[in-house]
Amino acid sequence: MTAITAETQRKAPVRPLLLAKDHAVLILLAAVVVWLSVASPAFFTSANILNILNQNAPLAIIAAAGTFVIVSGNFDLSTASIFAVASVCAAWLAVETGNPLLALVAAPVVGMVLGALNGLVVASLRIHSFLATLASSMVYSALAVLITGGALITVDVDGFADFGRGSFLGVFIPVWVLAAVVAALWFLLSGTVFGRHVFATGGNAEAAELSGIRADRVKVLVFVLSGLAAGIAAAIAVSRISSGQPQAGAGMELQAIAAIILGGTSIHGGVGAVWRSVAGVFLIALVGNGFDIMNFNPQLKDLVTGLIILAAVALAAVGRRRR
Amino acid sequence: MRQTPGKVLAVVAGVVVLAPGCAPDTSTAEGEYRVAVLAASAQNGYNQAVYDGVVAGAEELGLTVDVKILDGGFDSTTQLSQLQTAATVGGYDGVIVVPHDGPSLAGAFPLANSVPVITVLNPIGPDVDDMEPQVEGVVSTVAVPPSDAAARQAEGVVDHCADLDPCKVTLVVGDLSSPLDIARRDAYRGVLGEHANIEVVSTVEGNYDRYQSLTAVSNSLQSNRDVDVILASADQMTLGAELALENAGIAPESVYLTGGGGTTEAVRAVREGRWTANYLNFPVSMGAAAMEQLANAMTGRPVETVVNADTVGPEGVEPYATRETLAGPEAEDFTGEWNG
Repeated sequence: MTAITAETQRKAPVRPLLLAKDHAVLILLAAVVVWLSVASPAFFTSANILNILNQNAPLAIIAAAGTFVIVSGNFDLSTASIFAVASVCAAWLAVETGNPLLALVAAPVVGMVLGALNGLVVASLRIHSFLATLASSMVYSALAVLITGGALITVDVDGFADFGRGSFLGVFIPVWVLAAVVAALWFLLSGTVFGRHVFATGGNAEAAELSGIRADRVKVLVFVLSGLAAGIAAAIAVSRISSGQPQAGAGMELQAIAAIILGGTSIHGGVGAVWRSVAGVFLIALVGNGFDIMNFNPQLKDLVTGLIILAAVALAAVGRRRR
Repeated sequence: MRQTPGKVLAVVAGVVVLAPGCAPDTSTAEGEYRVAVLAASAQNGYNQAVYDGVVAGAEELGLTVDVKILDGGFDSTTQLSQLQTAATVGGYDGVIVVPHDGPSLAGAFPLANSVPVITVLNPIGPDVDDMEPQVEGVVSTVAVPPSDAAARQAEGVVDHCADLDPCKVTLVVGDLSSPLDIARRDAYRGVLGEHANIEVVSTVEGNYDRYQSLTAVSNSLQSNRDVDVILASADQMTLGAELALENAGIAPESVYLTGGGGTTEAVRAVREGRWTANYLNFPVSMGAAAMEQLANAMTGRPVETVVNADTVGPEGVEPYATRETLAGPEAEDFTGEWNG
């Protein structure tokens, strides 16, 4: 009763700073959109919006699934390596079999298997996910190099590029895939028992266990989801550029984690939302888009991106202190 | 961050490979040489092609050479450590380097032991355009000044733009935190800026990556659909630009599209008319040329301090290639020396 009262008291006055804290990423996203729309007539066009969505679909898919990992109190530093292995496997299979469907389906399957291995290592060996996935990322990267011999696999198979570059009802297929994946993951995290178990595990794993939640199983499943998402992202990317390379996706894991945290998901676990991570991805993406369409000095891109991330974090921190 | 494990692995691998050489020269029989190829990244097609050229060059010279490739993991510190280790406890008779970062690598000199070093693709030292050895220990450079090569690429654009006013150009450069790419960008701007009809409407970074170039050029095309020229410094980025044009509904052959590298895909694209031109590199031939100079140094013969990399390719293959030059009788069978 006391807790409810306290919660009610907290929620009753919707103070601006509280709102800013909870929606910092959306406020900044809106500010950047408004500024870019005013600054460049080329920005707020359907072509450019679809362009931004299409370009960032792979990263947004990885970040959406990565939200589960962070909310459960874990890290996945191997997503880029899984992305690379899935990419080269798909390219290799396409060249060897000539079957684009088989090749592209293989990518998410490979991703899921590698993600499951991560989850099993974390859950069964009780190794911190940061270290476990750091190690597995090295193993997976080496695997990608071994599959390709370090070289590029160019795919010249009819139909292979359709998934990454085709469109349906005037919208790129990767954008449809992004919408479907985000909707499914959003529902899974915020509307199902499994989602509540993920929050509980990230909030306090021991308490979750004592409540009857099989936290280890939750951990395995969130890594499976993360691997699956990396595989789907890889299928899009490898199809889009019709080539597989072992360095594909380098740095993507940190971009995804940055976007997740920028969105407002707690790095300590137990708090977060899929939409926040997707918003974080597109906030960073808008900076890059704005620089390119307005021909700003690319050397300033990282500076501006960093300042925007700092602004979002500061906005959230101010709200938290006032609260 | 992702590179960190790679760096650690590279250093560990370097130590493992170099460890047997802790007692220098004991394992080398008379008339045999041990050579280390320090690749900027052993997982990179260009570097692998240089290594292949070194091995082939040694065979061609009739030398018995044990060649080891070390992976720099695209990291300056790793490569610097590898070079110092190779020159001290490695037991190598000579080193061939493809520097990831030539200015940083200069910090390894002078080496503890007098081991001849040949640098390929980039010089080692503060001036990225000075091909003469800049530090004590480097005996030869097999490369072309990046500003010169970039200027030659830009001159092709000037020719194309002669009858266009305005002629709108998008530049795709690698990474503008690198002195090499800044030199290239400045050279492009220097040549193009002398012509009033040429307007550089956009400069984007492609980071030598097809996917990142696709993204950057797609963005640029949102405000510059009427671009006449896309000038990229590397083939991976031109491939991304080509995809961006296709996605935007623009036929690649309607734009002056060019890159640098001479990959098999680039050569095919120029032959098919999808790209207008390409600056060809010959990494296998460059590796062989480096081995030749290293052999000279190891056997006490005169060494050429600078080998112009544009001249080491197959006879009759013009480095600044167009469909016409690739159709020549000596070039018609040329398919490129690497892919990546």
